[in-house]
Amino acid sequence: MLRIGWRGRIIILALVFLVLLIIGRLILPVSEPEVSLPAEKVFTIAGFDITNTMLAAWLTILVLGGLGYAATRKMKLVPRGLQNVVEAAIESLLNFVEGAAGKEYGRKFFPVIATIFLFVIANAWLALIPGFISIGFWRTGEEGQYIEPLFRGANTDINFPLALAVISFVFVEYWGVRSQGFSRYVRKFFNLRQLFRGIGQLVKGKIRSGLSGFFTGVIDAFAGFIEIISEFARIISFTFRLFGNMTAGELLLLVVVFLIPWAAAIPFYGLELFLGFVQALIFGGLTLAFVVIAVSPREEH
Amino acid sequence: MDPETMKLLAAGIAMGVGAIGPGIGVGILGMGAMQALGRNPEARGAIMTNMILAIAFCEAIAIYALIVAIIMVFVV
Repeated sequence: MLRIGWRGRIIILALVFLVLLIIGRLILPVSEPEVSLPAEKVFTIAGFDITNTMLAAWLTILVLGGLGYAATRKMKLVPRGLQNVVEAAIESLLNFVEGAAGKEYGRKFFPVIATIFLFVIANAWLALIPGFISIGFWRTGEEGQYIEPLFRGANTDINFPLALAVISFVFVEYWGVRSQGFSRYVRKFFNLRQLFRGIGQLVKGKIRSGLSGFFTGVIDAFAGFIEIISEFARIISFTFRLFGNMTAGELLLLVVVFLIPWAAAIPFYGLELFLGFVQALIFGGLTLAFVVIAVSPREEH
Repeated sequence: MDPETMKLLAAGIAMGVGAIGPGIGVGILGMGAMQALGRNPEARGAIMTNMILAIAFCEAIAIYALIVAIIMVFVV
């Protein structure tokens, strides 16, 4: 065996990659990607359309449930194998949640946050398995035949990020109301106390302090109104962040594979893996941040 | 110009101009994080977590522009 130093190895690897790129470009043809933004329906059950992203989401549920079942059969005190991996993942998630929320609230928030994280990351990573967009039904379009996918990543349908965003919104509001009581929590949004105090002072005759109280009250009420709008705008921003990242990633992979088939997609696959993890972390982490803000008591002025 | 050309042009401009702000924003966030890390290397965990959170907020704006561009090309 010749002894090749690490510099030689890198050069050989680069040359092999270049050859694979050239072979892919010249010899393997890939049809132009036909992308439709709304998910295509595969079949209909009792008047309810089942789309290909719904099939992918069911597959994710099966995979996650199966993983959980397989890891907890014959549990040992000193974990080995699959139980070890799943325990490590759950423990790092628990540390993340408890780091932001404290010990007592961390345990209460953990189920929903961990479910959101695991669902998003499983959807994103399962969409990278070969066969997810390439296997499907032949259809005839305007420019010839194209394949309508049988499975498509569930995060690329706008309904799943929307559902998760609504779940996280309800989760944040529920914990805010439950931890602080309904009247104190709503007072954050309808902050009219200063306004009424100012009006009361005006009526009693103290003009200067009444006027300043009145104007501060108007500003407070306006700030509360903006808070409500920002709570609802969070649903939209969560949805579009996840949907946009995942759809852009899918389109990127399709276009790159169309341009230079076979080898150039490798770095982009790595990027997609990383982005799926980051988006899941961000969705769960932002939900966690907002719920921690909602349960922490506001200091009275 | 015919509508097809205008669509493609609009998509390009939407994404191009829409990425200026978030690009600068992420750069400023990175600068702040590097400076904070240089002053206090022990607070690495908190700094990195908050930086990634803030970068997610910033990047969402660029993603909105991307959605508009994609809709322009594929749907309209």
